[in-house]
Amino acid sequence: MRGRSVVSNDVFIAGVAAAAGVGAALLVLGSDRERSPVAVSAVVALVVGWTYIGSGLIARWQRPENQLGAVMIFIGFAWFATFLFDASSSVVFTVGKALESVYLVGFVYLVLSFPSGRLRGRLDRALIATALILVTAVELAWLAFADSHAQICSDCPSNAFEVTRNDDVATGLLQGQRTVGVVLSVLTVALLVRRWRHASAPERRSGAPVLWAGSAMFAALAFSVANDILDHPLGEGPAWARELVFAAIPIAVLAALVQRRLARTAVAGLVVELGEAATSLDLREALARALGDPSLALAYWVPVGGRYVDGSGGPVELPRPGEGRAATVVEREGEPIAALIHDPALAENSELVRSVCAAAALTLENARLQAELRARLAELQASRARLAEATDTERRRIERDLHDGTQQRLVSIAMALGLAESKLAADRPAVQPVLREARDALTLALAELRELTQGIRPAILVERGLAAALDDLSRRAALPVRLELDVDRRLPEQVEGAAYFVASEALANAAKHSHASEARLAAAEERGVLVLEVSDDGIGGAVAAGGSGLRGLADRVEALGGRLTVSSPPGRGTTLRAEIPCA
Amino acid sequence: MRVVVADDAVILREGLARLLEEAGFEVVGLGSDAEELCALVEELQPDVAIVDIRMPPTHTDEGLRAAKLIRARWPHVGILVLSQYVQARYAVELLAQGTERVGYLLKDRVSDLGELSASVRRIGEGGSVLDPAVVSQLVGQRRRGDTPLEDLTERELEVLALMAEGRSNKAIGERLFISEHTVEKHVKNIFATLRLPQSGDDHRRVLAVVTFLNAA
Repeated sequence: MRGRSVVSNDVFIAGVAAAAGVGAALLVLGSDRERSPVAVSAVVALVVGWTYIGSGLIARWQRPENQLGAVMIFIGFAWFATFLFDASSSVVFTVGKALESVYLVGFVYLVLSFPSGRLRGRLDRALIATALILVTAVELAWLAFADSHAQICSDCPSNAFEVTRNDDVATGLLQGQRTVGVVLSVLTVALLVRRWRHASAPERRSGAPVLWAGSAMFAALAFSVANDILDHPLGEGPAWARELVFAAIPIAVLAALVQRRLARTAVAGLVVELGEAATSLDLREALARALGDPSLALAYWVPVGGRYVDGSGGPVELPRPGEGRAATVVEREGEPIAALIHDPALAENSELVRSVCAAAALTLENARLQAELRARLAELQASRARLAEATDTERRRIERDLHDGTQQRLVSIAMALGLAESKLAADRPAVQPVLREARDALTLALAELRELTQGIRPAILVERGLAAALDDLSRRAALPVRLELDVDRRLPEQVEGAAYFVASEALANAAKHSHASEARLAAAEERGVLVLEVSDDGIGGAVAAGGSGLRGLADRVEALGGRLTVSSPPGRGTTLRAEIPCA
Repeated sequence: MRVVVADDAVILREGLARLLEEAGFEVVGLGSDAEELCALVEELQPDVAIVDIRMPPTHTDEGLRAAKLIRARWPHVGILVLSQYVQARYAVELLAQGTERVGYLLKDRVSDLGELSASVRRIGEGGSVLDPAVVSQLVGQRRRGDTPLEDLTERELEVLALMAEGRSNKAIGERLFISEHTVEKHVKNIFATLRLPQSGDDHRRVLAVVTFLNAA
């Protein structure tokens, strides 16, 4: 029902516009004061007015929520109102004179509020308010003092609003009004230029025709008003230029509208591209191109935990309104699948965004599943790292506890026994062998404990770090080891631990299973990555044989974000390579 | 003989002091970290300083570093380094600074009062002491592949190990129940087989043997 009333409203407006246009044309044609050819003036009057009102109606029809349509319709009618000036009736003539500049205020409003139809700041509002005062209050004040023949034109009807003639006051008011008008024009142009310089790419593209036409209009306006102030040294030229540029404005607005329709053909191109987009990156590029927003970012919905992630699975926060970015959520079957994070200017063109979202929904759903998988992998990796770290911390704690607690206590007991042995040696010779036995048992227990703690965390690794520990390992290995070390600093504890156990296990395997006569142990830090390589000249074929041990090593290395590779072709030796990030 | 002891664990520090006093040493100072130890050594100039390897603040090898510092600054002060674990490389590092007045033992060894007092006394008198575990590590790492060690007899290997521990011919003889003269013959044989320059000096031959064993 509401739709029909809007349509009938629009039909009514169109009818009134047609009548107003015809009326204005008739006034121009019937006027005896037009200096330029009347037919041309009448056509210009009609074309300019109807273009504004027509464009306004189209804009209202296309974007009912946008005020620009209403603003253009207002300008059209205000424009027609200026032609009342050509009437021969004194009152009508004076009303026309009073309304002569109102359309300009509508025009300022139009260019400042483009493309949303809303003014953006205090400066904008102050400008419009000043312009309104200028064309209403100041205009009426001037009319109160102005003698029609002295101030307006010699063959005009009399000024119906004249209260008392005062040429000086009237001239002063007129000059003041014009001067402020010039300042306002210049200010508006400056505002537009500044806005242009701060605009984002999509803003520039959508606003370009209107901003340029608007700037040209204000330049022409300032020029023509300056010409009026200086008493027409350039004749009617500047005024004509102004009208010409003014007539171009609704065309520019139409162009902006048409361009938005053209943008929709980009959606068709997008559909083709989406078929070819292999990765999330390609998808983003394609969408950014279709929307004309290079800064576009994609966020995918992960139902578990109800959050958004980026293409690689990292968490993403959607921007809140007023944060300088806008988000449009893409839904499929009522469930969110992704969000487009884009320039807020695109929200003005929500139809394009909606069509793009609709076209890309299936591909986005696909990418979403991938991103969700990556997010889960990232979580898995993180939990693995946490697990490994917890194990390492536990290892460290056990080793420390044994070293500082149990071992020391046992040593002190052994010392006490030693002391007792010595003190009792003389008078209780029978006790001595018993004490000796106890002490020997303790020494054995200490040795076993030492073996155990060495397995948990070798002392040399704790005390001297990886290079020394590997050197030590190579010396104690059951086969000759060629050592190549290029690690000259302490690495993170977990990295040292993992590398040590990889080397230790690999050398043990080489000695036990490979029938190797020699092994090579190399460790080097290359650009923040520790590369450890253990190779032997044995029989190879290690992957099948040494299954679980290698898996355990790989787990430990991968938990640190590293990689373990084994190459063991039969008959050609075994090479085990671990790469562990250690920056 | 005047001795200072440094260990961060009170229980071990005090226990060791009691043992040493029982064995007839005069314990003149007790410290709980490397800094305190160095201050004590500077002030008291003991005959021997006994130090645990792992101490605050990092609990890695500050005892060893303190030992090296003391050896460099006060060469007449003997050093005995104790540890829960022995590392052949630490022994080599210690000996590299000179083989006089230096020792390196597993902590467990100190419970044998006889061994402890003999070791401290030997260090105080200018000799050197290496833990048998260090020596077996050294021998172990040298016994792979082609090595002249293969050409030594079992008895000669035993003599070699005791030599590396810093024992004199007389002590080796007592250990193995053989005469000092027989030990001398074995030693001569060992040096010839390993192609090491002969040396009568107990200190120098420790270094020669350890250097040989440590060579990769």
